[in-house]
Amino acid sequence: MTEGINKPVIDRIIRVDHAGEYGANRIYAGQMAVLGRSAVGPVIQQMWNQEKNHLKKFNELMVAYRVRPTVLLPFWNVAGFVLGAGSALLGKKGAMACTVAVEESISEHYNNQIRTLIEEDPEKYKELLQVIKQFRDEEQEHHDIGLEHDAEAVSRILGWGSWRSRK
Amino acid sequence: GKRRGRRAVVRCQQYPPLRALQASAALRGASDEHKKEPWASSSQQHFDSPPAGHQPEQKPQGPHPSYTGQGGQESEDYESEEQLQHRILTAALEFVPEHGWTAEAIAEGAKTLGLSVAAAGLFHSDGSELILHFVSECNTKLSELLKKEQKLVQLGEAEKKPIDEFLRDAVEARLRMLIPYIEKWPQALSVLLLPRNIPSSLNLLTSMIDDIWHYAGDQSTDFNWYTRRAVLTAIYNTTELVMMQDSSPGFEDTWRFLENRVADAMTMSNTATQVQSTGEAVVQGLMGAAVTIKNLAGLNQRR
Repeated sequence: MTEGINKPVIDRIIRVDHAGEYGANRIYAGQMAVLGRSAVGPVIQQMWNQEKNHLKKFNELMVAYRVRPTVLLPFWNVAGFVLGAGSALLGKKGAMACTVAVEESISEHYNNQIRTLIEEDPEKYKELLQVIKQFRDEEQEHHDIGLEHDAEAVSRILGWGSWRSRK
Repeated sequence: GKRRGRRAVVRCQQYPPLRALQASAALRGASDEHKKEPWASSSQQHFDSPPAGHQPEQKPQGPHPSYTGQGGQESEDYESEEQLQHRILTAALEFVPEHGWTAEAIAEGAKTLGLSVAAAGLFHSDGSELILHFVSECNTKLSELLKKEQKLVQLGEAEKKPIDEFLRDAVEARLRMLIPYIEKWPQALSVLLLPRNIPSSLNLLTSMIDDIWHYAGDQSTDFNWYTRRAVLTAIYNTTELVMMQDSSPGFEDTWRFLENRVADAMTMSNTATQVQSTGEAVVQGLMGAAVTIKNLAGLNQRR
C-alpha cells in the first residue's frame, strides 16, 4: 500500500486529518459535558459517536502509512474541549453554531484534499479518497443537523416577524 | 528511494588527468549547489568518469558534464552520478580503519574500482559524504535484519521478543556495525555534528529510531509516539558514547550499560502511565468545573 506514493503529501493529509478528528472529538466531549443531559444531548452524542469512528479510522491509516501524529495533540486535547464546553455554555444555540462553523470548515478542508488526491492520481489513492469522501459527507450531515437546530431559533424569529407583518 | 532505476556502468574512454580534474571540479561546484540536502539529493547528473585502463567503446553521452536534471538523453547503459558515488564510497570504507574518514580513503577506494584518484575530488575533504554513506548503509542493514526477524515471527519460526529485549538487541546490532571502525568513529561523530551535516545526520538518526519502534510493534498515535522515540534516541546516543570509551572485552561494559538504560526506560513508562492517569484526573476536574459553572449560571435546568 505504501509503495510508490507521494509520501510527503499523504503524510501531511493523514496527520492533519487525524489532528482534526481528534480535535472534533474533544469539542463534542466538551459540549456533552455541558449539554449532555439537556434535550439536545442525544443529538450531540450521535454526532460524537460518528467522530469517534472517524478518529479510529485515521488511527489505523496512521499506523498503516507510518505517519507521525502532530506534536500539538496535547494542545488540541485541551483547546477542543474548551471550545466545545465554552460554546455549550452559551446554550444549545451556541453549541450548534459552533458545530455549524467547525463542520463547514472541515468539509471545505476535506474537499481540498479530495481535489489534491484526484490531481495526483485517483487510482493510486482510491481507498484513501473513498474514506475522505465518506467522512466529508458525514461532516456535511453534522453541519446540516447543526443548522436545523440552530435555525429553529432563527425561523422562530422570522415566523414572529411575518405574523406581525400580517397583522 | 535513493535510486532512479538501474543503469549499467558505462564503458568509458580514456581521459587525460586534466579533464578528470575539470570534471570533478565542475561537479564539486554542482554538488555545492545541492549542499542543503546532500543526503536527500536525487538529481540526475551526467558524469563521464575518468577511468584508467578501460577500453574506449563508445562516445561520451551529450555535453560533458551537464546538469540537465530529469531531462537529457540517458541511454540504457549509463550509470547515474549517484550510483557511481555510492560505489566509490562503499569501496572506500575498506580503507577507513587505516586512513580515517578522509579523502585518502576515498582515493584508495576509487583506485580499487579502476578510477582515477582524482575521483576523491568529488567529495568534501572532511569525509562528510563517506560518513553519511556509512550511516545510511548501516541503517539499511539494520532495517533488513529487523524485517527478516519479523518475518520469522510471522511464520511462527521464532518467538516474539518482549519489548525491552527487542530494543536492546536492535540497538546492540546497530552499534556492533561500528566495531570495525571504532578507532575512527569519534572523528566521524564530530563531523556528523557539523552544522552543514546536521539536517542529514538527524534525519538518518530519526528514521533509524522510527524503524526500530516500527518493528518493535509500536502503534501509538498519540503523544507516546514522541516520548518513545525521544527515549530510545537518548538510549542509543548515550550507549554509543559509552562504547567509544569502552575497552572491556567484547564491549561487555557497553552492553551492560545498554541493558540498564533500557530497563530504566521500562520503569519510566510505568511512571508515564501514572502521568496519564493524572491527565485524566485533570480532564475530570475540567468537566466538573464546567458543570459547576453551568449550575451557578442557572443553566442546568431541563430545556
